[in-house]
Amino acid sequence: MSTKPDVIRKCLWPACLVGLLITGILSLDCNLLHFHLRKVTWQNLRLLSSTSSSFPAECLSETKAFELPQEILSHTQPVKRYIKEAFYEMSIQAFNIFSQYTLKSTWESDYLKQIQIGLDQQLQYLEQCLEEEEQEKEDWKEMTEDGMNWSGALVPQLSSLELRRYFNRIDNFLKEKRYSHCAWEIIRAEIRRCFYYFQKFAARLRKK
Amino acid sequence: MLWSQNASPLRSRNLCLVVCISLLSGVLSSLPDLSDKSCTFKVTLHNFRVILSWELKNRSIVPDRYTLQYTVISRPDGVKIVEHCSNITASFCDLTDVWEVLPETYAVMVDGFRGNTTLVTCFTDFFLAAEISLEPPEFDIVNFTDHINVNVNFPPVLPKILEELLQFHLSLIIEEQSGEIVKKHNPALDEHVIGNFTYVIDKLLPNTNYCVSVYFMPRNLEAIRRSPIKCTLLQPARDTGLSESARIGGIITMFLIAAVFISTIIILKRVGYICLRNNFPKVLNFNNLSAWVVPEMPPWEAVAFVEVIHINRKKKEWNYNYDDESDSNDEATAPLTSTGGYTKHGLLTGLPGPTSASSPTGQDCLELDTEEPNLSEPKGEPPMAPEPSLGRGKLLQDCFFEDGSSTEEAGDKIVFNVNLSSVFVSTLDDDVSTLDDDSDVPPVLPSFPEEDSHTPEPSFLATSREGTQQPFPTPSAECPWPEDVLSDKRDSSEPNVDIGDGYIMR
Repeated sequence: MSTKPDVIRKCLWPACLVGLLITGILSLDCNLLHFHLRKVTWQNLRLLSSTSSSFPAECLSETKAFELPQEILSHTQPVKRYIKEAFYEMSIQAFNIFSQYTLKSTWESDYLKQIQIGLDQQLQYLEQCLEEEEQEKEDWKEMTEDGMNWSGALVPQLSSLELRRYFNRIDNFLKEKRYSHCAWEIIRAEIRRCFYYFQKFAARLRKK
Repeated sequence: MLWSQNASPLRSRNLCLVVCISLLSGVLSSLPDLSDKSCTFKVTLHNFRVILSWELKNRSIVPDRYTLQYTVISRPDGVKIVEHCSNITASFCDLTDVWEVLPETYAVMVDGFRGNTTLVTCFTDFFLAAEISLEPPEFDIVNFTDHINVNVNFPPVLPKILEELLQFHLSLIIEEQSGEIVKKHNPALDEHVIGNFTYVIDKLLPNTNYCVSVYFMPRNLEAIRRSPIKCTLLQPARDTGLSESARIGGIITMFLIAAVFISTIIILKRVGYICLRNNFPKVLNFNNLSAWVVPEMPPWEAVAFVEVIHINRKKKEWNYNYDDESDSNDEATAPLTSTGGYTKHGLLTGLPGPTSASSPTGQDCLELDTEEPNLSEPKGEPPMAPEPSLGRGKLLQDCFFEDGSSTEEAGDKIVFNVNLSSVFVSTLDDDVSTLDDDSDVPPVLPSFPEEDSHTPEPSFLATSREGTQQPFPTPSAECPWPEDVLSDKRDSSEPNVDIGDGYIMR
């Protein structure tokens, strides 16, 4: 007689639970951010090293030092939030640089696509976790009277401006060399080196 | 003509082109090969050293010496010559102290010379963090009874590049294999580990073969190069230590022995061979009986010990000689008188006393009626009731011939117990009153003496007159005659005894 409402009621709670479970699975856990960042970064590094062509000898005369920020090179322990922001800046800059590589396809196109996909996933992950932290930060500020007690003001910060400058130098080099083959080879080597240091950087997120 | 005039410039052009191409090919062929395809390079971490090795693809070219140069791509410092790798004959170079930064891209150039001629030039680049090949470290194993010590030989001074490798990229794996079982051990390494590193693989089975392999595993799941396995046979366990199987067998044996022992005890107990039961049947349990009817004891039967003295008498032959002497002699010797056709035998009764009298001095002289009808009664009795005709010897004769006229000696004494309930016995009334000492003593029934194989049947009493009587073993007690009784009887020591109604009366 009234079987359908009963069935709906019986299945309502299990459905809700399953939905929450799926949502939880699909949503990225920011506690595992360091693992994801380290994995994706190393994967991109391997992709950059898997190109069949080796560095051309004739390009040795065109090499340049792009001066990766010292905060990344050193073994200091920056604040966790700034690591995420640095990752976010690095990911978005690298993605922009690789998206400009349309003039000469000296690399394998498949490898380049995979690098871009990985960087895009990394950006989404970072955006979600940074939004959560921002929300927590605002809640904490409302609770405390003195907002200057926030620990971030006392710890040496990783300036995202330095990272932007770094990638600007890279971009300028490409433009200066007119996106030549040697320029791309030099940039490939430099970004690979950058990925390696960020991969070490991600390990500090786990230690924190 | 016109065709010939136009062909000449074409021919000259083609000729120049061919010459240029040939010259160019010749020049190019004479130039050293700058491509990386001339050599095969390899960078390995061999015994914790960064070793760059190369091999010429064209084996026809055999330089006699090599020179190595390198540059860092991210550092535009120019090409650097490795001094200890200049003019070397070996096709490898130790760059541990040269290449100290792991994430750099190193561009390498190797020139092969023969004399002063450069035969080949090889160029390549290496990103060490991703391209270095990790060879397994050298290690030693020391086996014990139940564990193995694995010693990995680390250098006394750890290179910087190795510190970073061990910190971020490498894990030391010790593999233990026994049969088809493989176990991996991942010991934690300090980034500053130096010298011999010892790892103990414990909880092993004695007298078992184990194989050990050590290698570095990149944390980024790259290719793994395992070391050659080293196998060892553990020492057998000593007396104190037993193998697990022997221990289990011993435990099982102990359980079986205990089970057999316990079952044997239980069976013996149930059978009653041990631990006999102390619980009597209920009918025999008298503890809870509140009332116990004790039947009255039957009255004590008068028991008197009688000593029967056997007297052998000659068979009296009737002598038809009617002389008076013979008759009187015979009558004198007749121990018995017969009145009324009865032959009476007297049995002397008395209490057993310490005095051993060859002649009975019993208190009572009892005379048994030897009448046959009366005899028949005791005949039916068991041997405990001897015939009253028994003992017609000296006992009776003494009663009557107390003055010493007993003719028979007590050579053959027969002492037996007579059941007075089966015979007619009589006691003198005077004797009873005069028995002061023995008044409390109940009359003692004569006990039937022991019979030997030669003893005749109880009917011997009837034939006691006629034939010799078998001697009976005398009982322990003899029947002493009370002197009072004897005195009374002596007074009337006459053979003539009033035997009336079967009783001897004095």
